[in-house]
Amino acid sequence: MTTPALEAQGISKRWPRTGAVLADCSLRVERRTVHALIGASGSGKSTLLRCLGLLEPPDAGSILVDGVLAVDQGFVAQDRSVRRSVGMVFQEPSLFAHLSALANVALAPHRVLGLDPDAARNRACSALDRVHALHLADRRPDELSGGERQRVAIARALVMEPTVLLCDEPTSALDPLLTREVMAVLRELALDAGTTMVVATHDLDFVAAAADSVDFLHAGRIRMSGTADLLGTRGLDDELDRFLQRS
Amino acid sequence: MPRVLAPLLVLLATMAAAADDGMARLRASGIMRWGCDISGGAPFAFPDPSDPDRVIGFEVEIAEELAHRLGVRAERFSADWLALIDALEADRCDLLINGFEVTADRERVVAFSTPYFRYAQQLVVRAEDRDRFTSLADLAGRPIAVLNGSASIESLRSAGVPPSLIVEYDDSLAPFTETVIGRVDACLQESFIARFFAGHDPRLAVVDATFDPGVYAVVVRRGDDALLAAVNAALADMRADGTLGRILQRWGLWSDAQRELGTDRGPIVATIPEAIGTPPEDGLPWSLVLWSLARAAAMTALLTIVSMPIATFVGLLLAIAILHGPKPLSRLCHGYVLLTRGTPLLVQIFLLYYSLPALGAWLGIPELLTWNKVVVGIVCLAANYAAYEAEIHRAALQAIPQSQWDAARALGFTRAQTLRFIIVPQSWRLSLPAIINDLNSLIKDSSLVSMIGVQELLAVALGIGKASFAVPSMLVAAAAFYLALSLLADWFGQSLERRARTVGALPEPIHR
Ligand SMILES: Nc1ncnc2c1ncn2[C@@H]1O[C@H](COP(=O)(O)OP(=O)(O)O)[C@@H](O)[C@H]1O
Ligand SMILES: [Mg+2]
Repeated sequence: MTTPALEAQGISKRWPRTGAVLADCSLRVERRTVHALIGASGSGKSTLLRCLGLLEPPDAGSILVDGVLAVDQGFVAQDRSVRRSVGMVFQEPSLFAHLSALANVALAPHRVLGLDPDAARNRACSALDRVHALHLADRRPDELSGGERQRVAIARALVMEPTVLLCDEPTSALDPLLTREVMAVLRELALDAGTTMVVATHDLDFVAAAADSVDFLHAGRIRMSGTADLLGTRGLDDELDRFLQRS
Repeated sequence: MPRVLAPLLVLLATMAAAADDGMARLRASGIMRWGCDISGGAPFAFPDPSDPDRVIGFEVEIAEELAHRLGVRAERFSADWLALIDALEADRCDLLINGFEVTADRERVVAFSTPYFRYAQQLVVRAEDRDRFTSLADLAGRPIAVLNGSASIESLRSAGVPPSLIVEYDDSLAPFTETVIGRVDACLQESFIARFFAGHDPRLAVVDATFDPGVYAVVVRRGDDALLAAVNAALADMRADGTLGRILQRWGLWSDAQRELGTDRGPIVATIPEAIGTPPEDGLPWSLVLWSLARAAAMTALLTIVSMPIATFVGLLLAIAILHGPKPLSRLCHGYVLLTRGTPLLVQIFLLYYSLPALGAWLGIPELLTWNKVVVGIVCLAANYAAYEAEIHRAALQAIPQSQWDAARALGFTRAQTLRFIIVPQSWRLSLPAIINDLNSLIKDSSLVSMIGVQELLAVALGIGKASFAVPSMLVAAAAFYLALSLLADWFGQSLERRARTVGALPEPIHR
């Protein structure tokens, strides 16, 4: 059996004022597969992704990235190389507002990986190309549409060649047309380039077309796991039925 | 303010009581540093109205003669009059010659030489009140203006005038203008000053009677006995051989009362025109005056140009330490901001200039802590403004959304890298307008360093204005220079803002 790209075991998390948000969540993401996280709003998808992205320490549990222990019993490893092997795309693109699209993508290769400026720029250009945004290289974030911004944000994460790319509802802030544009890029990355991804999403079409495995999150617990076929089932689980009905 | 601080400073100075012999110092250096306030006006020591770069006055001549007789060179040290005794105790100068009346209060703190001038108090009233107010008694219940720190105050107090009616002014001309305007009904000062400032003004009348005579003497540090003895010997000679008498005559200060000090009149000499106290006939020599102001404006610009970038940078470090530093450091920096913002800049300048050397002497490292006045000015302005800039930076740093931090962390940036390449470049844009605003107020606040004798714009303008009876026009001229500096600062600020805005269009941070 090969080492999974990402493996989480027994992740629990409570926020100071909100109380328990995640309870004993475990998941396993194989290399070159797309893992979808579905669940109602408030079910804990973002929190789980922030834990997997090593941005938030869980209260308990462990996380292995490419077989390397990144979180152990709730303690996050301080090793930066582990951190950058998990890429993250947020709900809001949160591009660096003072930099051009190209510089947004090239900054981390230059400053974090230590590439010289030309090499960093070259890498940034090919990352932008992968999300069909090369023609936007010299634009400032405020000169980009919402979808373009999100594509640049995806390139910014891809350029670090992460073992796994985490996407937290990357289109929930976009209108349907722009949603399609961004989801098309993600689908392409998944199907053509074989990028390993964990995607929290409401877009069941995307899940059906691109996801290899699906977890259904409800009230902080992974209630159902399976393949994309899960979406076609009825009567297995009341909550899942209710969720699918609403989506 | 200085009087509030005086006890503290005296304490520090006493701690410092290194009391090395001033005379030995004088001989070794070949220089006599004598202290005075050149914005005090004529006839003491003041900028020559026809050549504002020169400082003239009867005390300048006394100081030069004294130095000559001590076999050394006179070097003038200027500071605000109220700070002179502190300057002496901080060893910024060796002695003071600047109309210091010998009083019991002062004798507790410093030592006086034998006197070089005898004065008496004299009232000045509005011309139309000439017959109504002919003595202090006629003025019962009416406000009387005096120069603060002067012996006139003691005179009024001992005559039973209640403190509420004694109105003190910082400026030697102010009591006269206040009398003319009518905010007070009379002013009291030493007789020759009354004649000098009011004698030629048709709106004012000098009341004939004089009272409460007193003397001026050279001030030295207590315990500086060898220097005091040498000064006394030289003064005795100057009194006896007519040298002092001649200087007093030149400045129109001679009166027979001077003989009571043992001063010989000497050969008769004419009074020089500068001593008469009339505004220059053909107006101010404007080209010279403007040149002086321009150089003073350059000093103001220097103070600003050096201290503001330091303040901005240190302010940024403070803000980062407060927001992201370990708790003790964060607390410390926050405390610094509170302390610095909560105390007057004037007090900070005063303490750094006069008390730091005393502390240095106490610690045995006087050279290390005795800084040049321009350096003290820059350090104070920078340190003070850093506290304000820290708050501006803090607000701007906090305005950058947390999501920028998250995005950077997910890419593997350290906290320091995130601040340097992502957060600060953005917060800088936000803070710039407020910083430029502070730059403008710094230009004007820099005039406070004149307290320690830095010849910046306002001090020079006031000095020339007082000596030539042209304070309002000199103030307007100074304001014009300030406005020019301020417009320059705004222009600079705008170009900075433009630059900060365009940075984003380029892949700037990866430039070589
Ligand atoms: N930073 C936070 N502090 C406190 N509570 C939070 C925080 N972030 C999320 N929560 C709470 O955790 C729960 C799960 O939220 P989230 O993970 O955002 O769910 P989802 O992404 O599935 O909508 C919600 O009840 C939310 O209010
Ligand atoms: Mg969410």
